Amino acid sequence: MNVVKPPSAFQADHAGNEVAAECERWQREAFEPSRGNRRDRKKFATDTGIPIDPLYTPANLERIGFDYLRDLGFPGEYPFTRGERPGMNRTEPFVVSAYAGYGDAEASNARFKKLIEVGTEQILVALDLPTQCGYDSDHEMAAAEVGSVGVAIDTLADMEIMFGGIPADSLKRIGALGNSIGPIVLAQYAALGEKQGIPWSRYTVNLQNDPLKEYIARGTQILPPEPAAKLASDCVAWCAEHAPNWSPMTVCVNHINAGGAGSSMGTSIALANVQHYVELLLKQGYSIDRIAPLLHMFPDERHDFFVSIANLRALRRIWARMMKERYGAQSPEAMACHTTVYGHGQEALAEPLNNIPRTAFGTLAYVLGGASYVYLAGYDEAVSTPNENSARVALRTLQIIANEHGFADTIDPLGGSYYVETLTAEVEKQILDGMAQIERIGGALPVISTGFGRRKMTEGAVRRQRAIDSGERPWVTVNMWQQKPNVPNTAFRGDAKAADRQLARLAQVKSTRDQARVKTTLAEVERATAENRNVVPAVLDAVRAYATEGEIVDIWRRRFGTFVPSTDF
Amino acid sequence: MIAATATPSRRKIRVLIAKVGLDGHDVGARVVARGLLDAGMEVIYTGLRRTTEEVVRAAIEEDVDWIGVSILSGAHQVLLPKLRRLLDEAGAQDIRIIAGGIIPQEDIPGLQHDGVAQVFLSGTPIAEIVDFLMRESVQPLKEVP
Repeated sequence: MNVVKPPSAFQADHAGNEVAAECERWQREAFEPSRGNRRDRKKFATDTGIPIDPLYTPANLERIGFDYLRDLGFPGEYPFTRGERPGMNRTEPFVVSAYAGYGDAEASNARFKKLIEVGTEQILVALDLPTQCGYDSDHEMAAAEVGSVGVAIDTLADMEIMFGGIPADSLKRIGALGNSIGPIVLAQYAALGEKQGIPWSRYTVNLQNDPLKEYIARGTQILPPEPAAKLASDCVAWCAEHAPNWSPMTVCVNHINAGGAGSSMGTSIALANVQHYVELLLKQGYSIDRIAPLLHMFPDERHDFFVSIANLRALRRIWARMMKERYGAQSPEAMACHTTVYGHGQEALAEPLNNIPRTAFGTLAYVLGGASYVYLAGYDEAVSTPNENSARVALRTLQIIANEHGFADTIDPLGGSYYVETLTAEVEKQILDGMAQIERIGGALPVISTGFGRRKMTEGAVRRQRAIDSGERPWVTVNMWQQKPNVPNTAFRGDAKAADRQLARLAQVKSTRDQARVKTTLAEVERATAENRNVVPAVLDAVRAYATEGEIVDIWRRRFGTFVPSTDF
Repeated sequence: MIAATATPSRRKIRVLIAKVGLDGHDVGARVVARGLLDAGMEVIYTGLRRTTEEVVRAAIEEDVDWIGVSILSGAHQVLLPKLRRLLDEAGAQDIRIIAGGIIPQEDIPGLQHDGVAQVFLSGTPIAEIVDFLMRESVQPLKEVP
């Protein structure tokens, strides 16, 4: 960069050079002789492959060409590196959230009430696998899995029971994942408000509704990717018209990183997915300023504390520039990246209580990085749906991070750290490189169809496994102070009675509903789908008529066919 | 790519790695598949969301020695015994099952009684699985026709 720098910057340069020389001297004379003290095999590099120096100084900032106003600016202002909102945790603390649900609607309702008593401000409902994959509880594919990893929701009747005594506007946000069934889940939450007499403007619904990552990372895909992405984008379009205060799509890095791609490549893939959804909406005539504020990102890094902070900061910067430069956004709301995170660490099966500090540290990094909606994994989550006690500990840990130790007293407390700023720049570069690779193969759909995404994940997962097996990535009780993995008897005990109750309720709803109304509303879903219209209004009518989830999804299966999972590994 | 082996008259160990039920987490399955391949075995992967019937059909068609089932959704007590029963009914008593994933310790003896040769929990080093398959495959190794 051939920019003539003002005197103050020149002085900083000069100081930087002097520091660089001094740092080299220190490394040679003082640090190197001390290396012999360490005999283990630890390599100092991030999980994403960035080498870690023994010490960071102003010389590192010099090397990355750090420019405060250009690279950081101020919270709530472009490029949003230091935070999406002006006050961040200082004036609007992060939202203490819980992902919960198991068995049937009744069991989940009781659990939700306990979570609210403890101080939960947002509930994201964990759906069981049949529901996530578009099967009613009485479908043969649902056998043995009804109510197992989440709650079974077949019709609006289940929603009414699940939120009985919990008004939709009593929490900061409510919602569910609904990645492959977004329009149905959106409609269920819209109809819930109608049943409770609460207008859509008075409560906020959050959906994950990000089907594209399912094909490579999470596995609940139903339809081929193109129609699935279109149905997901219908939810955003419908909210732009009817409920602009809702957040109908949360694009995920989480599962892609956890599956092996690493947090930087995971972010690249997630941002390519954002581009795909956004471009579908722009083609329908929505402006970027109208739709971008409705989108959320779900970043993820669970191996390296400081990378996690750097990733969130880099993500906000990239998002802001992408919205402004690629899509011509003008409103700051469109350029401010909203983030939802789910605190994890390297959780182990042995001695599960150790997962409490692991997840707390992982979550603290997200909070220091400026996340807005924060969940925390139960310490038993590596083996099961959290029990009441672990769910309570998770919430209390969030409250401790929010209120004790002074963690949340000032905004972006690590801004300016030689290490964090250097990492932020390096992580940003990794993410942009990944995005350029994806752009070259043609974007989000080829990530799935060419095997690019799965390849990145498998390679990374194999690399991580080797690093663990060799001891290169230290892991207490796994490769140091080893203990046998242990899955306690409390894990995954699906409540057989809940499954029976669910089947009985579904049979009852099916026999007592207005069959003619179900038939006409489903026919309208079929028409809207065939005519490539936004499906949400028709789905909402079908949901109001107590059509089942499976009945609606079957229309799409017939129309679009189903996705055949890859057998590559 | 056929590597020379110490016992050229015997075929390589063939393993079908399978995902049954709706559980969509297959990283562990894929990492194990890669590990077994690297250890010189022949490995086939079913892909996600297979029925037990489909897995049995694939195992017989591919003439495998082992089926490695990855299961994290808690449906192991229904799906694993069913898989064993279907294999036996199809006359494939010689195809053996190992399982991995999230399976409560106390369920393991019952699964072993129902014909699962071994259960490897998440976090097991790949080498341990390789060793087990090598050791257990020694006696009944099929001759190459």
